[in-house]
Amino acid sequence: MPLVKLEHASKNYITGEVSTPALKGIDLSIEAGRFISFVGPSGSGKTTLLNLIGCLDRPTSGKVFVADAEVSAMDRKTSAKFRGENIGFIFQNFNLIPVLTVYENVEYPLIMVQNVPPEERRRRVTEMLEKVGMAEQAHKYPAQLSGGQKQRVAVARALAPRPRLVLADEPTANLDHATAYKVIGLMHAMKKEFDTTFIFATHDQKIVGEAELIYTIEDGLITETRENAAAGGVK
Amino acid sequence: MTNIIKIAWRNLLRYTRRTLLTSSLIALGVALVIVFGGVGNSFRSEVTGILTNSNLGDLQIHKKGYLGSMDNLPLDLAIPEKGLAAIRGILDANPDVLAYSERIRFGAMVSNFAQTTGIRLTAVAPEKESRVCPALPGRIKQGDADPAGFVKPGHVVLPLTIAAGLNLKIGDDVVLVATNKEGSVNGITFKLSGVSENIMGPQGKDGYIHLDDARSLLRIEDGEITEIAVKLRDFKRLGKVYPALKKSIAALPGAKGEAGSEVKPGKGGFETHSWEELSPFSSIAKIVTLLILVVRLVLVFIVLVSILNVMMMSVYERIGEIGTIASIGTPPSKILALFLVEGLSLGLFSGLLGSLAGAGILLLLQAVKLKFTFGAMDLVLAPAVPLAEMLLSLAVVVIISTLASLQPALKASRMEPVEALRHV
Repeated sequence: MPLVKLEHASKNYITGEVSTPALKGIDLSIEAGRFISFVGPSGSGKTTLLNLIGCLDRPTSGKVFVADAEVSAMDRKTSAKFRGENIGFIFQNFNLIPVLTVYENVEYPLIMVQNVPPEERRRRVTEMLEKVGMAEQAHKYPAQLSGGQKQRVAVARALAPRPRLVLADEPTANLDHATAYKVIGLMHAMKKEFDTTFIFATHDQKIVGEAELIYTIEDGLITETRENAAAGGVK
Repeated sequence: MTNIIKIAWRNLLRYTRRTLLTSSLIALGVALVIVFGGVGNSFRSEVTGILTNSNLGDLQIHKKGYLGSMDNLPLDLAIPEKGLAAIRGILDANPDVLAYSERIRFGAMVSNFAQTTGIRLTAVAPEKESRVCPALPGRIKQGDADPAGFVKPGHVVLPLTIAAGLNLKIGDDVVLVATNKEGSVNGITFKLSGVSENIMGPQGKDGYIHLDDARSLLRIEDGEITEIAVKLRDFKRLGKVYPALKKSIAALPGAKGEAGSEVKPGKGGFETHSWEELSPFSSIAKIVTLLILVVRLVLVFIVLVSILNVMMMSVYERIGEIGTIASIGTPPSKILALFLVEGLSLGLFSGLLGSLAGAGILLLLQAVKLKFTFGAMDLVLAPAVPLAEMLLSLAVVVIISTLASLQPALKASRMEPVEALRHV
């Protein structure tokens, strides 16, 4: 059974009386433990597809399954619980909580979502901060960090709850090239370390080259699927 | 919960200026309620104390129907000797009653042999009257003010207005002329032994003579009186003592009935009234209570608008953040709690600040002892810190803060994460 499965999933955005199709009957199957990229121009439907997989949004028609659960049929409360237990998110704008320190940001999902006991929490946060190279900055607030540092913290926060799937929407869009490569390299390393499935959306062709499997999306349809044997070269 | 409180406080401190401005406004409202309540209560109890301790007593007992004709001071609505004995029995047996004073109140004319004016006279046994109205001797500013005998037989205490108007000095002779209940007129010469402050306002024309002299002047042969003023051991127990006493007195038969016999409800011969029913000041006291209530309502409004405004701004400014915490799996109940605790914390902090400020101002007023004249009464305002008022204000602020935060908090908790994340 694949980790992610979409059965003819469509999504239309309705503004007034106008219905705009964002995804047009996507069928997709993703195995666990892969490092996958959705590529395509702005407005092609990458983010919508990520939102459906991340059970942040529901399809207009069709079904979405993640880890054997039909997430497209879940109510708000159940989907929040499911996300907290199975899915990590990395955002384009980092989206760290500004009033919490680096340590507290990584700790947040463990306290507020998973209710992890204090000792285990401390161990996991410290481990994640060390792995992303942010242990020295643990006491700092997001406003005191660079973009690259913020995204490292976001990676640590996404992985701390031990999710089966991490979704990243344009994770390098606000970073310079060198930092972007480092962040992608970090995500790749974390994927290997924790055997977590990573799916990221990007329109940066250089970053795309780091994915093992690349889906090209255009006008709400998957137009190309390509295996990339040269993936994971970045360190 | 600790984490929710920590995040709530940090979010409040994130917008320090806004939080301080809102806190100051709420604190000002709370302080105002506490100061106004403290001063209002002090004014009310001071005036009540003067009235009950100088003139009214805490309760009064009359023959049924007397209160309706009180302005005419009717002598035909008197408490007869038999009824008086029964009432004495009830009062003596009541442990809450400290003392009672039997009075005859009547209208008379006072003359200095050249000029004549009207006067309301209260005939008393001075030692009993001093126990019921302990402040009365203190209001006699000229002449004999001995509590045990401030008015002796053959003497009269006149109010300042009349003494000054008739140009009388201590020791001068005056003639008191009165009509008794049969309609016959009698006059007796008295010696002026004291001049008192006007108790019931600038127009107060209340003088005192001895009970025995009133009986001579009015040719009362039996022991009837028109009024009994009662003093309680603890004024605060008035609310409990009054209804019970009223019931016992109402059960006594009138002049025609036998004391101790069964009386149908509403058919008794005597009536009891609290000081509030006898004094026009009780209306002012009610207005003070009403004003305190209005100030409290203003506080509720201030808190409601301030917290609602701050929390709505807080939610709108943090839509993206709400989207983030929702997308990483924070349950809607915890998002709701985050914003509720934020509003509640702001209210609690502001309420505590306001309570401290209010208590500080009251302590300052207590130390200064504000003095002023209200009518004919010299008042000293030394308001106590009203602990109950402080706790009530704090509770009101906390409850209203929570209620005001509810709508923004619900809005935050019901946001679709995907919509919130799109918000810039």
